[in-house]
Amino acid sequence: MPVGSRDSGDGSGFAALNELGPGASPGAGIEIKRLCAFYGRKQALYDIDLRIPPNQVTAMIGPSGCGKSTLIRCINRMHEMIPDASVSGQILLHGVDVYGGSMDATDVRRRIGMVFQKPNPFPNMSISDNVVAGLKLNGVRDKGRLHQRAKECLEKVYLWDEVKDELKRSGASLSGGQQQRLCIARALAIEPEVILMDEPCSALDPTATAKIEELIAELKTQYTVVIVTHNMQQASRVADHTAFMYLGKLIEYGETAMIFERPREELTERYITGKFG
Amino acid sequence: MTSRRALKDRILIGLTFVCVVIAIVPLATILYYVTVRGLPAISLEFFTKVTPPPSVAEGMGNAVQGTLLLVGLATCIGIPFGVLSGVYISEYGKNLFGRTVRFFGDVLVGNPSIVFGLLVAIVIVSPTHGYSVVAGSVALGTLMIPIVTVATAEALKMVPNSIREASTALGVRKWRTSLLVVSNAKSGVATGALLATARIMGETAPLLLTAGSSTLWYNGLWRPVASLPSYIYLFGISPFPDWITLAWGAAFILIVIVMGINITVRMLTRRRSDAGG
Amino acid sequence: MPRLMDMGLDKLNSLLLEMAQISESAVAAAIEAYSKGGKADEVKEWSFRLQSLHRQVSDLSMEVIARFQPVASDLRFVKSCFEISYGFYRYGRYALDIVEVLNMFGDLSRCDHKAVNGTARNTQEMIRMSVDAFARRDVALARRIRKMDDIVDDSYRQHVRSVIGQKKDMKCTLSAALILRYLERIADHATYIGESVDYIVTGIEPTK
Repeated sequence: MPVGSRDSGDGSGFAALNELGPGASPGAGIEIKRLCAFYGRKQALYDIDLRIPPNQVTAMIGPSGCGKSTLIRCINRMHEMIPDASVSGQILLHGVDVYGGSMDATDVRRRIGMVFQKPNPFPNMSISDNVVAGLKLNGVRDKGRLHQRAKECLEKVYLWDEVKDELKRSGASLSGGQQQRLCIARALAIEPEVILMDEPCSALDPTATAKIEELIAELKTQYTVVIVTHNMQQASRVADHTAFMYLGKLIEYGETAMIFERPREELTERYITGKFG
Repeated sequence: MTSRRALKDRILIGLTFVCVVIAIVPLATILYYVTVRGLPAISLEFFTKVTPPPSVAEGMGNAVQGTLLLVGLATCIGIPFGVLSGVYISEYGKNLFGRTVRFFGDVLVGNPSIVFGLLVAIVIVSPTHGYSVVAGSVALGTLMIPIVTVATAEALKMVPNSIREASTALGVRKWRTSLLVVSNAKSGVATGALLATARIMGETAPLLLTAGSSTLWYNGLWRPVASLPSYIYLFGISPFPDWITLAWGAAFILIVIVMGINITVRMLTRRRSDAGG
Repeated sequence: MPRLMDMGLDKLNSLLLEMAQISESAVAAAIEAYSKGGKADEVKEWSFRLQSLHRQVSDLSMEVIARFQPVASDLRFVKSCFEISYGFYRYGRYALDIVEVLNMFGDLSRCDHKAVNGTARNTQEMIRMSVDAFARRDVALARRIRKMDDIVDDSYRQHVRSVIGQKKDMKCTLSAALILRYLERIADHATYIGESVDYIVTGIEPTK
């Protein structure tokens, strides 16, 4: 994958790598303003200010416990599912605060999809039912439309050819890599603008991981992707922008090439060269 | 040295064996006597005829009918309220109220059943001046509720959280997610309901205070009704050998039904664990 | 605790320091042979040794990249290693070229050595600075090398002009011109080495 032209690093010019093809639908950018997150009294995120550009892959890296998973769970309001969890600050999607009064948590989650670390297809549903679960569980009944959407999404994740003759099989009967692609298809089916991925490849073998990384690179033409990964090489391969977090604070954020060639912060340098701890 | 340890080993194993035998003896004796004494009483007439005059052994059809009726109506109370309470505790009750409800559920499961009978006697039988089917069903139903609640809550606890997360992340409303969780715990919930039904089938004490007994076939919701447990009691303490034989027959039928339910449950759970792996 | 990569990086560093030392000696021996007469046969061997070391550096850099995926300062170091080792290799090569001029032209004892010696002094100073800057990763020192390069360039042009103007003895004129050219190229490489050191530490690309 060739790296496009370097820009001055202020994020204003996006290189050839990031061109939208014809007919690509734009995802939404996300603006995070002074975000703090708590588990009860314990603070997990400290004043995070971050701009996630649309139609790009942004990776969050950092050592365990740095808050990267907490951060993305705040974006789609999954953080508040934990008892006693709370949040302050703003997260703007298309300029509208997802924590503001005008948006319901479930509305937010319909516009921001999520893929989890361990593939979690619904075990008592078939493959095609799994893909359109987001639609069916929200009341869509039209079988034609559901089948069409299932086919589209399975094609997008390159699973259609592998499973088209076995759509009625249980979702759990696929291999790990296939299951994860199924979960991605399921997230795509509700037509979100943003896709959040929490360490999507950590439970997969290298071949499956490579397929998913290639898929992510394609997805960004239509969606904004935010991926949490503990594998720095994955971030350097897949992401256009990388954010480094440590102990709940955002230490550095910039174009991936810059972060991995000449990071500005000493802490970032120490983490990515493995001199931590 | 080794032979002494081997000896100790064998003594301990022997002791355990003896204890098991002692434990089984009453159970085996019951089964033996019930079968030997009860089987002769079973005939078509047992199910089709009503309580005979003393010294004539004819039938207990009304008791069988009464038991089926009482248990049937009880499940209409016990299962819905029990399952919904179990769902509440598991899905909505991560707070003090939920924990309290769970606590009371656990306590009531072990409560002496005659207390439920007493409660219903005061609340229903007294004002309506008499034993009734309604009173009996309410007593048995109320007795069922805690059992089903606790069993449902436990079954739902076994459903992995990844399913709830996946559903919530798709923007599915909370109630629909809970429904999905229940459908994943179908067999666990069904098992709980079946075991609770088996349990109340043999409850005698509450019925004595609420449904009373009757020598007639069912003749009205607000009239007393016969039931197998109450007849076992009444006929069993009578001086008439024919009636005593009928009592054995009733005991036999009851044990057969309860065993049947237990075996069904066992078969269902084994099939599930085979399939799930 | 040392990282897995550190072994490779340390080996690269010591290879470069060895090259630094050999190349510095080679240039000194060549200049010595010019000023005092004499042969300096060892320079040829040293030049070959430098070539072999340069190849080792190249292979080891590739191995470190393939196996350890270096990033940030480690990556900048590995990239620069190749450029810097090339610089040291070139020092040796030019030293050999100077010795070959001496061999070709024979006895130069009656030539005016002032021009060459003057430039040689500055050049050798720059070589020393480049070696030190690399060994200590001294950015300030590295940046001073470029300034010296301007001095060497001026002195080179000046001396070439004066040498051409003489027209006295073709042998002296030509040999001096050739050697001055080599010295000027050595000085250029010292500058490049300084810029690489700067890049390793600060990440700033040299403005070419």
